[in-house]
Amino acid sequence: MKNIAAIIYRDSLIRLTSLTWLFFDMAVPLLYLLMFGVGFNKAVGFGVHTLGSSIPYNNFFLAGVLSMSCFGSAINQAYGFFVDRDNGIFYEFLTYPMTRGELLLGKMMFQCIMALAQTTLTLTAAYFILGIPINIALLPLTIITVLIGIAAWFFALSTIAFRIRRNDTFNTVINVAYFVLMFISSMFYPLDAVPEWLKYISYVNPLTWHTDVLRFTTIGVGEIITVSIEAFGFIMFLLISFWYAQQALKKAA
Amino acid sequence: MQKAISIQNLIKEFPRKNEQPIRAVDDISFDVLPGKIFGLLGPNGAGKSTTIKVLTTLIPPTSGTVLVNGYDVVKQSLDVRKNICVVLQENAVEVFLTVRHNFLTFGKFHGMTTSDIEKKMGRIVELFGLEEVLNQKPIDLSGGLKRRVQVAKIFLVDTPIVFLDEATTGMDTFNKRATVKAIKEEAQHGRTIVLTTHMLEEAEELCDEIVIINHGKIIAKGTTDDVKKLGLQMFYLSLKFSEMEKDLEELMHKFSPVKMDIVNNEVSLTVREHNTALKILSLAQSSGALKHFEISTASLEDVFVELLDRKKRGTP
Repeated sequence: MKNIAAIIYRDSLIRLTSLTWLFFDMAVPLLYLLMFGVGFNKAVGFGVHTLGSSIPYNNFFLAGVLSMSCFGSAINQAYGFFVDRDNGIFYEFLTYPMTRGELLLGKMMFQCIMALAQTTLTLTAAYFILGIPINIALLPLTIITVLIGIAAWFFALSTIAFRIRRNDTFNTVINVAYFVLMFISSMFYPLDAVPEWLKYISYVNPLTWHTDVLRFTTIGVGEIITVSIEAFGFIMFLLISFWYAQQALKKAA
Repeated sequence: MQKAISIQNLIKEFPRKNEQPIRAVDDISFDVLPGKIFGLLGPNGAGKSTTIKVLTTLIPPTSGTVLVNGYDVVKQSLDVRKNICVVLQENAVEVFLTVRHNFLTFGKFHGMTTSDIEKKMGRIVELFGLEEVLNQKPIDLSGGLKRRVQVAKIFLVDTPIVFLDEATTGMDTFNKRATVKAIKEEAQHGRTIVLTTHMLEEAEELCDEIVIINHGKIIAKGTTDDVKKLGLQMFYLSLKFSEMEKDLEELMHKFSPVKMDIVNNEVSLTVREHNTALKILSLAQSSGALKHFEISTASLEDVFVELLDRKKRGTP
């Protein structure tokens, strides 16, 4: 635990040196929800039809925002490896008395702390400003799902960061992946009405699994069996990503 | 006695696509005893840094056995890391944190408490002359100062083995002296220091034992005196004349010195044989213009250059 605490201490110090970074880390999901969500809510005033019922777009989009912020935070934290590599400190870390797994867990836990603050802000605004009927009873499950999301995406993206040496290549790969994954998921629209082929592709996308679980825990939309399978799939994705990230880190020097 | 480091038949190869792998370290073996200052010397690309990377668990060996404080670098890599601290060849500082925070984070990663770090930091900051930049961020400091921070922080912790890969590179004379002083003090307290350097004077001043490697192979090992004595019989001559004649210079060249420099009326040269040194001295004296002379065994640098030349020529 001492090593993980040391990583959290170090990353906190670095984050505190840039208040702009800190602000955007906290505020981006909130801004997405307030600007993008509100705009679409007006545009599709009749709401979104999914699983036989109609719900306001804001309510539908909340899970997408939480899921997107997990993915975005994970990108930031994984990109930090490039900054550390440029400063040479990355290689020095690998000689410190800790396991490769501890290094990854420490980084992930720091981002989880950030995500907790982010999620609290977003849910508070969603509940009090936009009046989204958040399921309070399932709030702990929402928090856990957010944390699992951060962890899984961080490990998956770190694996890519360790394998790609150039940060411009990493940026390109991640931007394309982000764009594709977002639009073939249930983040912005329900998958009920999309063409069959797109639906199949969307259902093998971990971003869909994560968003669907969050939608179920926040506003109760979703079929319990489907959501349970998706939750299981996402946990598998987390474990596999962690294993790959460790292996990639061992070869990163 | 347990060795601080034991390397047996270490080979490290880097695979390449559709080509033979590059063999950076080629079957080297050596031991380092605890409390010694050990130098790993060689030209660029000799395999020094690769050896350090294997010893510090950054990369695994292709084959061979490498033990650090009795722990295997492959099977017990965490135990190895608990026994070492490292200054890598690349600059490695937290550029966005203050120098103080650099010390604090480094100490915490090595299991120290904040109060322990603060206690030890004072002496190190003074030793390395970092008082004035303690609250500045390395991003605003010169390359030399960044390197100073990187080197200074390793003296915060008490791991039994320290690796310094070209640690004094980019430092000015003051900081080199501070680093050399700190290294000597740490060795006196029983820590084992393994360093790589291009500066052979530094190795000669610091090291109890050295290994010279070239193209991944060991070409000499032993104490600095042992290496100097490797059958080379090299001698250094310094001759000062009231007036240096051209034909005397030509005569000296006929003895094929390893190195010969003439500045004004002063000649410095390194020769291979004891007899050659005496013949040149006799020649200089017969000129009638010799004012002062010195004769000594050659420096490690001369031996190093000669060993590399021999390797190129293919002579043993």
